[in-house]
Amino acid sequence: MKLVRMLKGALGGAALGAAAVTGAAAQEDEAFRMGVCYDLSRAYTFITPQIVQAGRDLADLINADGGIGGHPIELTVQDHGNEPQRGIECYERLRRDGVFVFDFLSTPVSLAVVPRAMRDEVVMMQSLVGRGDAINGEVFEWVFPVGPTYWGQAANDIAFIKEQNGGSLEDMTIGFVYLDYPFGQEPIRILETLAEREGFELQLYPVPLPGNDQSATWTQVRRNQPDYMISWLLANGHVVASREMQRNGYPISQYIAVNWLNEVDIENIGNEAATGILRGTNVVGGQDIPIIQEIIAELYEEGEGNGPREMINDVYYNTGVAMYSVVFEAARLAYEADGWPITPESMRRGLRSLEEYDANGLFAPVTVTESDHGGGGRTRVEMWDGETWVPQNDWTAAYQDVIWDVVDQYSSEFTLEED
Amino acid sequence: MDFWYLAELTVNGALTGLLYALFAMGLVLIYKSSSVPNLAQGALTMVGAYAVLEMGRLLGAPLWLAIPLAAVAMFFLGLGIERVALRPLAGRPIIMILMMTLGLDIFLRGTTMAIFGGSSRPMGLGVTYDPLFVGPMLISRIHLIGALVSLAVFVVIVFFFRTRTGVRLRAISDDYMASWSVGISVERGVGLSWALASVSAVAASVIWGEIQGVDQSLSLLLLKGLTVAVLGGLDSVLGAVVAGIILGILESVGSNFLDPLVGGGSRDLIVAAVLVLTVLLRPHGLFGRHDIERI
Repeated sequence: MKLVRMLKGALGGAALGAAAVTGAAAQEDEAFRMGVCYDLSRAYTFITPQIVQAGRDLADLINADGGIGGHPIELTVQDHGNEPQRGIECYERLRRDGVFVFDFLSTPVSLAVVPRAMRDEVVMMQSLVGRGDAINGEVFEWVFPVGPTYWGQAANDIAFIKEQNGGSLEDMTIGFVYLDYPFGQEPIRILETLAEREGFELQLYPVPLPGNDQSATWTQVRRNQPDYMISWLLANGHVVASREMQRNGYPISQYIAVNWLNEVDIENIGNEAATGILRGTNVVGGQDIPIIQEIIAELYEEGEGNGPREMINDVYYNTGVAMYSVVFEAARLAYEADGWPITPESMRRGLRSLEEYDANGLFAPVTVTESDHGGGGRTRVEMWDGETWVPQNDWTAAYQDVIWDVVDQYSSEFTLEED
Repeated sequence: MDFWYLAELTVNGALTGLLYALFAMGLVLIYKSSSVPNLAQGALTMVGAYAVLEMGRLLGAPLWLAIPLAAVAMFFLGLGIERVALRPLAGRPIIMILMMTLGLDIFLRGTTMAIFGGSSRPMGLGVTYDPLFVGPMLISRIHLIGALVSLAVFVVIVFFFRTRTGVRLRAISDDYMASWSVGISVERGVGLSWALASVSAVAASVIWGEIQGVDQSLSLLLLKGLTVAVLGGLDSVLGAVVAGIILGILESVGSNFLDPLVGGGSRDLIVAAVLVLTVLLRPHGLFGRHDIERI
């Protein structure tokens, strides 16, 4: 009997041991998963291929180095076609599979998913798109628009013009040409507030979607001759604008584009014609950056890149590396602090513990806190000199009081009933 | 508003309108022979632009050669579309045929997106964008060139309809049953009209591709082209030209007055208003045939 008990005990111990070994192996294999629901077929296709490629490359690089505490990073990429309903479907499908970190890279889809992510207590990254007031971490506890918002970028553009004009904007005229839909309209409130405060005249020039029909707009600009034009157009919209500027004799050196102007657009404008164009930017451009060099050496020179090599020569690729650097660094911090498995709560703590983090040298350092999920929102203005982008000022986060006034006002109106 | 500014808006509006007409003539060509409003004409224009660029890229052909090569390719594409997608629907309700052209539009946009991606590419005609002043009026060179191309295409189409083949197409347009009965191949005629519409799409695509770059948004020209075709009369080539000029001027001058009042975006409102009012007040358009059926 005793023998039987001993045998049973031994068998039980062996079984438990085997289970423990299997469990450990499973845990080692268990991945840190992120849901990447992007528009791969409609409006954002000028940027999503580069961003996805950057995310996958960075994940591969980290995985080759042991992943996050021995756990590989896994990106699940799905197309939402910039349709809120499909974005929600993607979110729900992946969430059922256990994913709790998401990115949507689309303003309309992000707007639709925010209430769900808040209700479900799921981490939603929202860098560079979506509602600007989501930097208020006390209201949007699960949304992380790490990096500059459009509001911050527009304010920084105004600060740059002020700096160029000897510290005053009195009696100046600044035109704002924008796509006449939520993306383009986003900075108007900030610009109007700043116009009142700084004493400049703000002229609005709406352009219908998709931004290809601008001839009447620039005829008006020629007549009004604003001192600067700030532009909230997308990709090819800048190409059309550049031609209209040339045709109307408006200097391209007084045109400050939103960050969505890349090397492909410069090529389409033509190097010579584009020389002097200004761009507000939130990431460092070019390939002379250690992390980009490492990706090239470790992946592309080994034939293991996640897309065409030439795609790396694009500021949107750098944008992608910066965005995913933030996520993976936060996951690493979460693992260090709370161990495996990473949970939504520990991931959120990881994001909120980012301090002076420069996204592998691509962002101006960001410090995310419980109340500030944007982390600072610094941008700078660069100029295309015919070969490369040349910074025209330091990273700056101007008019923070104005920004936060608007953030507080808008975010205070948010309730979960919006869903 | 001073006189010269108004004149500039009017002239540039008329030039832009002729570019709309260039697009709309493709719609009219198909409607004249088959009574089908081709909702895929925008996508055909977009494909025409990609065809020109690909002829240059794959064959190394300069633009002056790539354009006619693309026109030949588009001719056969038009024939193919009619043969494979439209002919099987002969005799079916018009809504089915409309849905087919809509499906073609979505298919062509999706296919080009998958093959060429969403980034815009330059057509590279080499037209300078330096300011061109005629007196105190600033004129757009590329719009001026495009307007001349549009008029040239109009003249070619007018002469084409006086040739033997053109007369056959007109006969089909008038009464396809009667055409059948006298031995005219209606199928071949309709196929030819699709092929010619595809060729005219290449002309529109080169000019519009130069103006706004080559990407999927070229297919959005459909709304304005369709408005022009409806206003002019869906079966009237002359109507397309006149309506194009009218719509271009209305857009240019009207939006200058309305934009400050409504906060922008009035160009699309004007186009929509023209389309709605035309359908309500004069469904057969300015020059279209007004059929009266005896029942």
